[in-house]
Amino acid sequence: MAANFWTSSHYKQLLDPDKVDVVQRLDKEKGLTLEEFRLIKIHMSLQIWKLALHVKVRQRVIATATTYLRRVYTRKSMTEYDPRLVAPTCLYLASKVEESTVQARLLVFYIKKMYAGASSSDEKYRFEIKDILEMEMKVLEALDYYLVVFHPYRPLLQLLQDAGITDLTQVAWGLVNDTYKMDLILIHPPHMIALACIYIACVLKDKDLTTWFEELRVDMNIVKNISMEILEFFEYCRLDSKGNILIPEDRINAALNKVAAKP
Amino acid sequence: MGDGRSGGGGGVNRPAWLQQYDLVGKIGEGTYGLVFLARTSLRKCCIAIKKFKQSKEGDGVSPTAIREIMLLRETCHENVVKLVNVHINHVDMSLYLAFDYAEYDLYEIIRHHREKLSHSINQYTVKSLLWQLLNGLNYLHSNWIIHRDLKPSNILVMGDGEEHGVVKIADFGLARIYQAPLKPLYENGVVVTIWYRAPELLLGAKHYTSAVDMWAVGCIFAELLTLKPLFQGVEAKATPNSFQLDQLDKIFKVLGHPTPERWPTLVNLPYWQNDQQHIQGHKYDNHGLHNFVTVPQKSPAYDLLSKMLEYDSRKRITATQALEHEYFRMDPLPGRNALVPSQPGEKIVNYPARPVDTTADFEGTVAVQPSQPVSSGNAASGNIAAASVAPSRSMPRSMHVVGMQRMPNTGMSTFNVAPQAGIGAPSSGNIPIPRGAAVQAHQQQLRRKDPSMGMQNPGYPQQKRRF
Repeated sequence: MAANFWTSSHYKQLLDPDKVDVVQRLDKEKGLTLEEFRLIKIHMSLQIWKLALHVKVRQRVIATATTYLRRVYTRKSMTEYDPRLVAPTCLYLASKVEESTVQARLLVFYIKKMYAGASSSDEKYRFEIKDILEMEMKVLEALDYYLVVFHPYRPLLQLLQDAGITDLTQVAWGLVNDTYKMDLILIHPPHMIALACIYIACVLKDKDLTTWFEELRVDMNIVKNISMEILEFFEYCRLDSKGNILIPEDRINAALNKVAAKP
Repeated sequence: MGDGRSGGGGGVNRPAWLQQYDLVGKIGEGTYGLVFLARTSLRKCCIAIKKFKQSKEGDGVSPTAIREIMLLRETCHENVVKLVNVHINHVDMSLYLAFDYAEYDLYEIIRHHREKLSHSINQYTVKSLLWQLLNGLNYLHSNWIIHRDLKPSNILVMGDGEEHGVVKIADFGLARIYQAPLKPLYENGVVVTIWYRAPELLLGAKHYTSAVDMWAVGCIFAELLTLKPLFQGVEAKATPNSFQLDQLDKIFKVLGHPTPERWPTLVNLPYWQNDQQHIQGHKYDNHGLHNFVTVPQKSPAYDLLSKMLEYDSRKRITATQALEHEYFRMDPLPGRNALVPSQPGEKIVNYPARPVDTTADFEGTVAVQPSQPVSSGNAASGNIAAASVAPSRSMPRSMHVVGMQRMPNTGMSTFNVAPQAGIGAPSSGNIPIPRGAAVQAHQQQLRRKDPSMGMQNPGYPQQKRRF
């Protein structure tokens, strides 16, 4: 149900890890590799983030939008569902679902602004309102009309409070944000992701929470596995001096061009 | 396929998914779109299809539709309307929500008693309707959903069939999950038909609680008892969030002037505080709820009603508490089929079937043929029992529906209608004994056609309907 995770469609739809990171057949035929597929998803998560900063929506909206994007690509190919259009559309739909509607024309305006004067592939980012509205319906359909998404943010704050380590809020919150560059939200219950982020934050900040974790009735192996995945992801991504993920633009463009190319 | 009838709709241009439905006709119309009655080609189940138009201003799928899909895709309860399918027509960008069809609603049931029968609704039916309404609401509230627009026309009752007489709460276009709203809800503008609007909202409260729904239930309870809306204020429409002085006046006349003693947070409510319309100084004599309802002041029914109509939203009875109230523990006990009288030998009321405009097609355009006269008993609709054409109805009806099974996860084209079986398993357990579901077998056929259906009692204020 809408407020109880265990009876929600979100819970029922959690996927096996090996069902998530799978390149769709059509994309495979275009030569898209698993690595490129991942890169595009990371890149598009970042695009949603950047666009969201322009239109000023809350973190929750960004998180929901990113979840939609990732759900779409467990079912649909990038060949048929152009990620450059799906990403802003997911933000558009999420803003409605989270009761903070952003107008489509505003998104179109900022997309144009974001790509004005940048490099050659930019024409592919030129969308009209009509494109977003058409894609909105396709995304709705691709999501099978399941729109309620639970996020780790709320459990995170509760857990930090409970553990008495609210001083770690900023670090842990940032880690939760980073998990949306991965597919974790499609695989694990949000509170488990929150716990993994707390676990990492404790390691980073040298806090010993062993007893607190032991008293929780959760499977610590899962928490540790999620934590490992997050850390591996950080290693995989090269970070710039500010800690931002850096993906070479030419690699992204090459990957996107593969799925955009007519057969 | 199917509907070669009047205005059968689109013919070859109909999208594939639509061909699983035989259109019967239009049953409602509103700002957001149209509501149709259809039968599924395979199982001949009745389905109500709510069509949302693409809004003109380039806003995409209406937020109302999004809310309704979002919430109903998660809910599963016997007393909450069931969304059986969603379809998209990419060609004209319209969205269709398919619900199981409910033949009646409280608006029509009350109206039928008031205008046709001139006698009150029997106690068993009132109690059963109320119990089921509360049962559905308790489910919603315990899942942090506030409906925000409860009114008789949004409370549906199932017609003939396995679920006969079962209440379904419908129309979630304004409903919200209220756990940590992103924006204060008041920013989203108008909410709830004013007759059923809670006093704290009328006084400018900025946050909704589930108590607003309970106020509405109280109003509906009173209306079931007396057949008349309890507080019939005249709506001030100057701005979307106008101060509704007349509505408050109507409430105060019945329940008395609120006081900070009775209602401590009253003094913090904006419209009370600024008192621009001098409501603080009003005087109300001879008030008293007992003057307006037919039940004895000492009865459990009266006690429950007055607890629903408590001014202070923090003291107002909750759905959970209401279900435990003494009223529901005494004879007649509430039952699953609210329309079957408790006493054998008591007269069965045949409520009029929902009027269907069989001249409309799925595009909402009316067929070239002239619309049929109101008096028509209406042979045209063929397979839908007791349907009548009522093109003259001045107010469109809202939609109405039900069912019990989740949508299949498969593509739309493989859609199958939920079978009428396995009745809402988890939720129905605590309903006091289903009453002879088989009894009403052929009630549809017995239902008399009502030639004057389209006519409204001129003296009776019409309800605003929203879709």
